[in-house]
Amino acid sequence: MAAKKLQIALYWGAACGGCDVAVLDTNEFILDVAALADIRLWPIAVDGKYEDVEAMADGELDLTFFNGAVRNSENEHLAKLLRRKSKLLVAFGSCAHMGGIPGLANLTNREAIFSSIYLQNPSIEPGNKKIPHPETCLDDHVLELPQFYKRVYKLADIVPVDYFLPGCPPAPEQVKLSILALAGGKLPSKGSTIGAAERNVCDDCQRSKSEKKIKRFYRPYEIIQDPEKCLLEQGIVCMGPVTRSGCGVRCPESGMGCRGCYGPAPDVLDQGTKFISALGAIIDSKDPKEIAAIISGLPDLTSTLYRFGLPASFLQRSLKS
Amino acid sequence: MESRECKIGVYICDCGTNIAKVVDCEAVREYISELPQVAIARTYKYMCSNPGQELIIQDIKEQGLERVVVAACSPRMHERTFRAALQTAGLNPYLFEMANIREQCSWVHDDPLAATEKAKALTQAAVLRVAHHEALEQMMVDMCPNTLVIGAGIAGLTAALELADAGQKVYLLDKQDHLGGNLARVDLTAPYLDSARDLLTERITRVKTNDNIELLLNSRLQELKGYVGNFSATLVSVDSDDPEENKAQKIEVGNVIVCTGYKEFPAERVTHFGYGKLPNVITSFDFEKMLRAGRIESKDGKIPKYVAIIHCVGSRSPEYHGYCSRVCCMTALKYVHEIKSAIPSCYVSDLYIDMHAFGKGHEDFYRRTSEVKTMFLMFGKGDHPIIRSAGPKDDCEMLIEVNEQLSGEVIEIPADLVILMVGMEAREDATETARLVNISQDKDGWFIESHPKLDPVATTTDGIYIAGTCVAPKDIPDTVAQARAAAGRILAKIAKGKIAVDAIYAEINEDSCSGCRICNELCPYSAIEFDDEKKRSHVLSVMCKACGACVAACPSGAIKGRHFTDQQIFAQIEGVLR
Repeated sequence: MAAKKLQIALYWGAACGGCDVAVLDTNEFILDVAALADIRLWPIAVDGKYEDVEAMADGELDLTFFNGAVRNSENEHLAKLLRRKSKLLVAFGSCAHMGGIPGLANLTNREAIFSSIYLQNPSIEPGNKKIPHPETCLDDHVLELPQFYKRVYKLADIVPVDYFLPGCPPAPEQVKLSILALAGGKLPSKGSTIGAAERNVCDDCQRSKSEKKIKRFYRPYEIIQDPEKCLLEQGIVCMGPVTRSGCGVRCPESGMGCRGCYGPAPDVLDQGTKFISALGAIIDSKDPKEIAAIISGLPDLTSTLYRFGLPASFLQRSLKS
Repeated sequence: MESRECKIGVYICDCGTNIAKVVDCEAVREYISELPQVAIARTYKYMCSNPGQELIIQDIKEQGLERVVVAACSPRMHERTFRAALQTAGLNPYLFEMANIREQCSWVHDDPLAATEKAKALTQAAVLRVAHHEALEQMMVDMCPNTLVIGAGIAGLTAALELADAGQKVYLLDKQDHLGGNLARVDLTAPYLDSARDLLTERITRVKTNDNIELLLNSRLQELKGYVGNFSATLVSVDSDDPEENKAQKIEVGNVIVCTGYKEFPAERVTHFGYGKLPNVITSFDFEKMLRAGRIESKDGKIPKYVAIIHCVGSRSPEYHGYCSRVCCMTALKYVHEIKSAIPSCYVSDLYIDMHAFGKGHEDFYRRTSEVKTMFLMFGKGDHPIIRSAGPKDDCEMLIEVNEQLSGEVIEIPADLVILMVGMEAREDATETARLVNISQDKDGWFIESHPKLDPVATTTDGIYIAGTCVAPKDIPDTVAQARAAAGRILAKIAKGKIAVDAIYAEINEDSCSGCRICNELCPYSAIEFDDEKKRSHVLSVMCKACGACVAACPSGAIKGRHFTDQQIFAQIEGVLR
């Protein structure tokens, strides 16, 4: 008798779809997955309804990959439902791991977001400026929309998470290895980060490193790069020093500074504050005015520091309305 | 932050009434004893007293305390005291934390309720923190007994003799080809008018004949590597810039005394006295040269009938140096005596701003100088006397106009010779010296002491001492005292044989270090090395002062500050906020 097939689900919360594409980017390996497992839910690729999940017994799923942050009541409902139905829940990709790009919305608030999207947006026709409500009555019917929360949460804020698979999106090779490891029952200790390395990006980066001194920052298009030399030394913001490796150094090898999507390096508690401390050490000036001028060369500092992890940081969110 | 299980003893000090008059220590005790980790909490009148310390020792022994918190004064004051008490009781001294409820509470607040709440918060922070403390051991390193003395002026000669007479090897280095430094340019000394030459000759002879002293003249320090007890110095000749020809000499030393002295303020920077234009306006050092040659005369060889001395040239002025050079006032009085003894008929005027006669015997010297008919004229700070050439009918070379402060009148006096009392300033090569031995300079270029009052000859770099006028302007007795103090400090260390290095320092976890090199340039103590082969940075723990700069900057979190771990600091923050 053939071994019982693995029961898996892939779900997206507040996400862009890139994580699902990363799964598909494993190319023909996806066929092995199909042979190995029954995909019970995968909104982007496989038919499957929420009711089908609700009908399952608790723990019926062996594994759920949850990508995306928790932004609204639907995300939360599915996070809790899938947690109950799954033996293992993996926060897949930066948004589930740390809040991701949607997490930057924590710099503002719900009212401002609604106002911007539904009232201020220049593409809205003058007569159509309406803020949607969770419930709308129409011809005796009640139409429901998910409740939009005040802030964005990472998955672990809502439900206990077994493993974290970082990346925006996770590198396909790491996705493949992780699926094989989990399917093969090679389970690391609960709460660990999988599909990544126990070191930082610089450790894997082949560019040459020397003592760093920065006089000004450059956007990548503003400078002709030395392809051999550390990007940070050239004034290009690279979060590599504070970021966990495992991505394959994709960005720095393409001439872009690391944006930090794999989250804090193993010994780092908070990516953004760590990076700003490090910058403090390498900015080549002792004159406060000059330092301010150099720092002002970094556009949107908070978003640069916490591009993928504001909800998981010390800051978490802005409280000012 | 999870709290850790361990038995903590908390001791709240009244400090007589210093703390208890504002903070309700009993309320702090009650509050803190509610914390689950706190096994015992006591208040006591003076925790630092012997009975106070005995209380801790007894509780550790009888109650089996694993950690101790004392809420009292600043750790600067008594951390050492209480650590020693723990050690006596057999507990590792680092399993201790102080909460400062005096300087940070009772002395700065007058609202007793609020101050008591703050004292509770600070003590709680210490309790939560100490739970995460780890037992740390001090390191002992060997100590090379040789000393390098840089500069062979009166300070360097004195320090070298002090060390060599105690049987220790000394390398005495000077850029010049002779010994004696600036003092060799001076004739008599104030206030007792003994000869500088005599002072020096005795020392120089002893230095030259002492087998423990190796003289390195015409030489300079090129590089200093290593750390206290184990420095390696590279010395080169000053004559040659050709590295081929210039053979470097390497020596091993345990300590270094920097006594590189001063240079005189360049009088040409002050244009209004006509220095360089009027032939008979000279500096105090030009005058010392005349005195040493034994003939006071004007440019054309005439004996002056009138000599004027002007104080504070380049000193105590926002334009040049803001500080007082300390020795010029007494040197000026010395000139009066030397002139009067050489030319009894000479009229001497002394133009000063304030007469600084603060040293031993100085006020007497001032009085004696007044008795030899010196004309003292006081001019204002920010003002200056005006010198012009005299006319053919005058019986003098120059005329000086002074806005005299005591009489309130403008007075004109004759002069054949004008002596400008130029102050001291930091040598041009002081910055280079500071960089080589890794010490700091103040805004005027003087080297900075470890503590200006309590640790005046040590620096923030262990094993590097400073003495004499490279630290600040001072006279010979102060210079000699500093030189002997520095030598004494070193002899005390040599006697111990080994040096204890504080157990608190930064360390790099090589597994987490990525070799990004952000920390490399950051260390103010040059304690971080980069291993090119391993591509990892490394902290030389003996050189580390635990400032934490690299800990904060290390982007991969590989550098840990022992005794200042993230966990300990977060626990402390939580304790304050809870």
